[in-house]
Amino acid sequence: MKPALSIVFFTVASGAGLGVLALVGFVALFHLPWLFPEALPKVAAIGLGLTMAGLVSSTLHLANPRNAWRAFSRFRTSWLSREAVFSLALAGVVIVFSALLAMEVDGLPRRVLALLTIALAWIVLVCTAMIYGSLKPIRQWHTRWTPLAYFVLGHWSGALILLAVARYDASNSVRLAHLCLALAVLAVLVKAGYWRASRKTDGAATLERAIGVAQGVRPPITTGTPSVMQARLLDAGHGGRTFLTDEFIFRLARQRRALLLAMFWIAGIVVPLVWVIGAWWQTPIVVGACLANLIGLLAERTLFFADARHTVRLYHGDSRT
Amino acid sequence: MKLGLVIDLDTCVGCHACATACKEWNGASAISGPLTDDDPYGADPTGVWLNRVRHYEVGAYPASKTINFPMSCMHCEDADCVTVCPTGASYKRADGIVLVDQDKCMGCNLCAWACPYGARELDRSSGTMKKCTLCVDRIHDQSLPEPERQPACVLACPAHARFFGDFDDPSSQVSQLTAERGGFGLMPELGYKPVNRYLPPRAPPKVGASDAPFAGGSGAPALTRLIDAARRFAAR
Repeated sequence: MKPALSIVFFTVASGAGLGVLALVGFVALFHLPWLFPEALPKVAAIGLGLTMAGLVSSTLHLANPRNAWRAFSRFRTSWLSREAVFSLALAGVVIVFSALLAMEVDGLPRRVLALLTIALAWIVLVCTAMIYGSLKPIRQWHTRWTPLAYFVLGHWSGALILLAVARYDASNSVRLAHLCLALAVLAVLVKAGYWRASRKTDGAATLERAIGVAQGVRPPITTGTPSVMQARLLDAGHGGRTFLTDEFIFRLARQRRALLLAMFWIAGIVVPLVWVIGAWWQTPIVVGACLANLIGLLAERTLFFADARHTVRLYHGDSRT
Repeated sequence: MKLGLVIDLDTCVGCHACATACKEWNGASAISGPLTDDDPYGADPTGVWLNRVRHYEVGAYPASKTINFPMSCMHCEDADCVTVCPTGASYKRADGIVLVDQDKCMGCNLCAWACPYGARELDRSSGTMKKCTLCVDRIHDQSLPEPERQPACVLACPAHARFFGDFDDPSSQVSQLTAERGGFGLMPELGYKPVNRYLPPRAPPKVGASDAPFAGGSGAPALTRLIDAARRFAAR
């Protein structure tokens, strides 16, 4: 699949934003001493800002954005529609929640809104992942690893942003650092699981299956032993590019792929991890660690798209997905 | 009703007449037209087609065969392109036809991603998704003579390799051809229940030595024997 920058940015930015919001919900719900109470509305605003920046970016991908308002209408069947509805609800809840946090209102309203924020952030995160995870023609995406990876990576980025604010404010954030370490381990595990599942070829569709060789498309056996029933593309029927080749036949150069993978490991995992352990609080380092993480995840998300092999590729000559 | 197409892979000659007839009819259709082309006479032409013909070789030479493979929307019974659509622009009619409401589509591409067959193409000039309409503006048009109430691709096919009809009716031509010839749908394992059926190539008639066209004719056996001898000599 072609990695469109607007979509790559959308999933990374709103993933981080939703992670921040869910964690702020927990901090507010259990009065965790990870952040100063004055910092909470600020962090909630960062979370909402990132989520909304992502959603705005996703509309840049639309070819006909005038009809974007209609995306709220198919809530019952479409994950994309669900995402739109729940993120709007989340925005409303977070604005009220932030106001309560700013006014330091305690008690039931705060707890209810914290719970709502956590629930909606998680729901939106799963909806985003399921837009991709629900697509049967792309076997790399159509696994439970897709929502798991979105969920964990979103929280990994979010926890780093929380830790950044905590260290900037010089609050007691050892527990938060421990959470970051745990999420880093989980992030490595889910991505390893995702890549392991996508390397398995037993579920792969083949060109032969796609054109029905098993169902009777075969050559007349004219001589000797039956030939291996292999198919190959002779001609795609068009000389130029098409919407299908533009959208689905994306080929990533090997060096490019290695570079993106290295970016994910170094910028997305190792650099922030060193910062978590090193406990530096200087502004450039704090901001740099969070930015490095987001850049690393942009590389990871680019790979998520570039490595996804849609069945349309079979009809254009790929031997398997 | 379950309207759809039967495509005979035995008789399809791969001439692309169905694809061009489709482009011609639907390019001027009020349902989804125009089917825009970008840079049609330039160095990098591209454009929207609702029907594409690809060509494959199956088997290893010399026991191989060229299969011409026209593909358009399969009008699936369980069409994920319809369920993933966030705006409600994609819908399935009671007669089985899957359509895109051009006034509602926001061009998010998700339906094209959900379609395993590549049946949907985004028109970049209108920003909306285009797809096979099964010529819904022909097949139900009472003002046309009855034999012409068929999709443009079916009418255009010079090899008579395309058939249109109702798969819910067991006596229809499409149902009977499917039953007789072992018609199959593409990638049933994905569970979309595609309606269109492909008829596999027929086995060729057996041609044995005794049935050779020249057998018994005067002079011809001598010639075949001579050619055979020459072949054997060459193969030595």
